[in-house]
This record gives sequence, C-alpha cells and structure tokens, in this order.
Amino acid sequence: MSKTLNLYRNGFYAMATRFFVLIPELEDGSGDELFQKIKDEVNRIESRLSRFIKESEISKINREAFKADVETDDECFEILSACKYGWKMTDGAFDITLRPLMDYWKNEDNQPDETLQAVKESVGMQHVELDEENQTVGFKNENTELDLGGFGKGYALEKIKQMIESSAIKDAFISFGESSVLAMGEHPAGGAWKIGINDYTNPGNSIHEFEVSNGSVSTSSNFFLNDEGVLQNHTHIINPKTGKPHENFTAASVSARSPILAEILSTACLLLSDEKIRELMEKYDDIEIIKVDYEPEKPEVSEFKSIGE
Amino acid sequence: MSINRKQFLEMTAALAGSSIMTSTMPWFSIFNNPAPIGKDASDRVRLGVIGVGSRGTGLVQNLQELEKTMNIEIAAVCDNYEPHYDRAIELTGGNAEAFLDYREMLEEVDLDGVVIATPLYEHAQMTMDAMQAGLHVYCEKAMARHLEDVKAMYETHLEEDKILLIGHQRLFNPVYLQSMEKIKRGDLGPLVMMRGWWTRNTDWVFYDNTGGRGTELDRRLNWRFYEDLSAGMISELGSHHFQVANWVLGSPPESVMGSGSINYFDDGREVYDNFGLIFRYPDNIHFVYDCITSNKHNGVQVQVMGNDGTLELESNMQYQENPPEPPAMQKLVECIEQNKNEAIPIGGATWVLNSPVRMGGEYITPEYDMNDTLLYLEGFVNFIRKGIAPEKLTKEGYNASVWTLLAEQATKTGEMVTAPEEYILS
Repeated sequence: MSKTLNLYRNGFYAMATRFFVLIPELEDGSGDELFQKIKDEVNRIESRLSRFIKESEISKINREAFKADVETDDECFEILSACKYGWKMTDGAFDITLRPLMDYWKNEDNQPDETLQAVKESVGMQHVELDEENQTVGFKNENTELDLGGFGKGYALEKIKQMIESSAIKDAFISFGESSVLAMGEHPAGGAWKIGINDYTNPGNSIHEFEVSNGSVSTSSNFFLNDEGVLQNHTHIINPKTGKPHENFTAASVSARSPILAEILSTACLLLSDEKIRELMEKYDDIEIIKVDYEPEKPEVSEFKSIGE
Repeated sequence: MSINRKQFLEMTAALAGSSIMTSTMPWFSIFNNPAPIGKDASDRVRLGVIGVGSRGTGLVQNLQELEKTMNIEIAAVCDNYEPHYDRAIELTGGNAEAFLDYREMLEEVDLDGVVIATPLYEHAQMTMDAMQAGLHVYCEKAMARHLEDVKAMYETHLEEDKILLIGHQRLFNPVYLQSMEKIKRGDLGPLVMMRGWWTRNTDWVFYDNTGGRGTELDRRLNWRFYEDLSAGMISELGSHHFQVANWVLGSPPESVMGSGSINYFDDGREVYDNFGLIFRYPDNIHFVYDCITSNKHNGVQVQVMGNDGTLELESNMQYQENPPEPPAMQKLVECIEQNKNEAIPIGGATWVLNSPVRMGGEYITPEYDMNDTLLYLEGFVNFIRKGIAPEKLTKEGYNASVWTLLAEQATKTGEMVTAPEEYILS
C-alpha cells in the first residue's frame, strides 16, 4: 500500500508565463502561507525588473540612463553586475540589450541592410557602464535598452531557493514556465528529482534526464510546443555576433545549483560553440549541459558535464 | 497600445445590436448613431449649468470641449455663492447669462437642458423644477438626500417626459464596455462575489476658513459633513460603486447590512469617516464594500469575482483564476501518488501567456485616455437632440440612489434593510 500524501499544489501567472509549485508533506494552511510569500516575492521582482511596467527600475533606467547616470539600489546594481558578468563570461552570447534587434526582426519586411547595421551597433553590454563606487548605471548609446526577460525567472527562483532553504521545508518542486525548474530536496518516493527534457519530435517523452536535488534546470530554445503539442515559433533568439535571429532548430538545457547560472548559461549555450562550452565547464564543478540539434531527422544530443566535485 | 476615439467607436460598433449591448448598456450605441448636428443657430442645443463649485467647474470645462464640435452653447450659469457665481462668469468669458437664483434662470433663459452640480440636498427641487419648466436634466450623483425625493424626481421625469440622467460616469467608461461583454460572455465563469473599496487619507475638507464645523458657511461649503445635507462618503463616493454592482449583477440588491463610525476625524463632522457594507443580490451573491478616509493603502477598487477569474474594474485589469497546469506537472503528481520516482518531461522553452501585460494580469481594454464624463455629456446632448434617452440609463441612477440611502439606513439602524415596495421599479 502506498501511503497517503499531503501534496500542496498551486499556481499563478507571472512574468508573462505560469508558475507552479508542488510541495509534498505540507498541509493546506501552511502551504497557502508559503505560496503567498513566494507569489509576493515573484511579483515584487517582476515589478522591479519588467520593462513593461512603467514604474519599474528597469523602465526608469531605460528612459534615463543615456541622459544621465541613474543611481540604483543594492539589489538592482547586483542584478546588472551579474548580467554584465554573464555577458563577459559567455563572450557576449548572454546579452540583456538585444531588444532593439528583436524588435527589428519582428517587422517581417526588415532585411539585413544598413539599418540593421545601425541597430546592431547600438546593442551590447559594452554600452552599459556600471559605476561600483556610486552604484550608478549609464548608457553610452542612445538606443540601448535593457530587457531582463531572459534573467528574471532565474533570479526569482534563486530568491525562492533561499526562501525555502531558510524554512522548515526540505522538498519542493517548482516550474516557472517550464523553462526554469527548481527542485529542492528529494522526490517523495526517494532520490533526487528526475527532470526530463521534452523531446519535440516525440512530445511527452524525455530526450534527456537530469537528476537534481537543491538545484535548477533551465532550457532555452527558439521554438516550443504548446500543451497540445503544437509547434509554436514564438520567439526569436538573436545571435549578437550576427545580429540575426538564430534560426536553427536547437535547444540547450543547463543544470546547475544556482538558478541564475542555469538561466544565463542556457541562453548562451544555444549560440556558443562546443569548444567554448567545454571551456566554460572548467570553471564550475556542478553543471551539466545538453544541446539538442533538431535539424537532423533524429535529434542529436550533445552532453557536457563538469568533472566531479 | 492604447485606444483612441476611432477604436472606441469600432468597439461600440462591434457590439451594436447584440443582446449584451441592448440588455445591459444600450446607451453606448449613441456614439455610432448620433443625432444629426445642424449648423444653424436654431439647431444649437442650449444648456444651463446650476452649481459651479468643484464638480460644476469640471462639467463646464467638459461642455466647453463639446462646444467645439457639437453646436451647443452654455447659455446660462448659476450659483448662489458669490465667489462661485463670479467664477462661472469668468469661466464662460461673460458669454453665458449668469444667475444667483436658478429659478430666475429657468424663467428667463430659453434652454433645452440643464446640468446640475449642486450639493446633494438641493438636487431634487432643482431637477423637478427644471423638468417642469420643460427641460432635460443631467444631475450629478447621487439623486437626493431622501428616498421620497428620489422617487419624486423619477416620477417627474416620467410625467413630464423629460430626460433625467444621473452622473455616475462609469456608465460611459470604455473599461465597462469591455467588462460587461466579458462578464456576460462568461469569461469569469459563474459570478460568485463582488468586492469594492474606496480608501483615502484625507480630512476631506473642501474649504478652509469657513469658521469651523457647525458654522453656517461651513454647512454651505463643506456640506458633505452634515447629516441633513449629505450621507457623507456613502452618497458621495460609495454611490458610484453601488451603481456598478447593480449594473454588473443585473439587478438592484435584495438587502443591505452595514456599520459605520467616526474614529479618527472627530472634528465635529456628522458623517462617518469609515464604514462597511454587505449587499445581498439575487442568486445568493454578495457585494462587500468598505470606505475609509484615514488610510489610503488599498486605494480604490471594484472587483468582480467569478469562479474562473477576476476583473479589477478601477485598474482595468483582469486575472484568470487558474493557469493551465503543465501536462508534465500532472504526470509528476501521478508518479508521486504511485510512489514512483520517474523522470517527467517538463523542461522546454518558456510557455507563454497570450497578451501578457503585468503582474499576472492582462488589461481588460487597451489603455485609453478617454474622459468618461465627457462621453456621458456627449451622450446627454445627443439624447436631447433625439428627445429621448434609454430608460435603463435613468433607472441605473435611480436604483443606485435608492440603495445609497438604504445602505445609510442600514448603518444607522444596524438592521438588514430591504427596499420598501413603493421604491422598487417594475
């Protein structure tokens, strides 16, 4: 006989996607309290980082940082510093300034011409100056615009991870739009949580499995399947090197203890060469990366694993 | 994206003739089917404004907007308080005939309609006098201080066959146009509750230097503080939202309970600085409402709650109740229930909510900078030209005003109050 479990499940919308939490062995009252804290924290982060919200810090920086340096608080400065670090570490493959290029390619009439060249030159974290002493951010190019869409979910999960670590709860499973998953403690049946990566050619089946305990898996791809299994070409990943959308059917997933690191690396690894990925792996002892190439008839999976702890 | 006049007209046109439009908000069709505007002086709609205080000034300015396009004229202005009388003359550049006594204005000037923005306790007599003088009336909310006056105004409107519109301006707000459609279409699922509040942190003193509470001048200018002149925040703020609840739920309430007190602004005012109400509607639905003027944390809001979603009407936001659960999450739960630790195929690109905007919600209607009071007055002018307005619009004002006074009664008696038979419209 399997034992009856209390399983707390709840979800909400945030950051343009859905957030789901599953916590074993938690009765509803305590679950609702923790859920409210998590929801408040996610909303707080969204209200600070979203470029869609006029009053957010990021909107303020986007409006003002070219005219004059904008003073930020500790949290905001740390976030921008982490983004700049991620940009350097990945040779510019992770870049939060690509929005003008995405907008350029949203217009289907636009072609790779001189206009594109101008837009391309306006993007890049080299235009974003962070002054540690005064804790200010300034733009060196008029068209620079920050978009933390590829960072916010990882950051939110990082904060939630800390929240759970300092609570009495050991085991939890959280999916933030499925592209960012946080797995804490153990599966109720024992052992680490087994996070599968959905196979787009065979939906509902895993093309790879990560075993995660107190860590995160982040996935990036330039296309996805909706719940009904229908292919949606919903977003363009921009290759900052070429200034053009990354059109190959590829996906990259990264498992790391830190949700922020997983988030940064998954975006970057979609564009980085295998050699550069191997180079990156050397810096860390806890990451595992897969790249899936859907171009051949049978998808090809490349695995990269850091060498032991 | 935000909507402009053209897109607003497309929205009203899209609903034209639908049962949602005809049964819940027929007045919106006036914008697609306006009365022809003749250019001659004889075609001009001549209006008088009675009461040019804070709200009256705003109404004059709105009418002046309409003067640019609608061949109307503010032919007369009236206020019995001299500083406001002078302001009225200044505002209209001396072009409108000015009066201290509205009766003289009604007698001496050839008008088609009047706009009344005087204190609550003066509405009834002025409105009835105007209609009996053959004029159409737009009167600020709420209708009157006493139930019998509300009824007398409504009956005069029927007897004299004159238009009577009450200034609950949300009736002409684009958010409500889209909200009523969503609600009636079932987007929220079955409605289960409404909640509303209006919270501010202000002493609510409109005029200083009146000599303090209780003086004749204070009663005249800060009339909202005196029980015989106003029901305080119940009539001056709450009535807006009582109207919304009646409109959304498609019926006046069945009963109301409530309580109120003064616990902070104990400066000699006679009306509550905070109150709470529970209205009960048909189909066992409650509308819970509260109001306070010594804490503004919650701002102003009206929520329509259904089993599948919530509308926040004052902030133009809608929220779905439950995001669709990822199929892999369901599979994970099944595995846990069977005590099996199997890999679940959850990882993938980000699932995307359609038309996402902020904080888990979406806009009800795209952002707009349209002024609902201006739209209401534009409607009033058109209805004057046509000689008739949708009766439902007048009834909205009537029911909101009746239930404003019944709500006040509930707070005073501590009893559950229902509407006396004679105040229920067929």
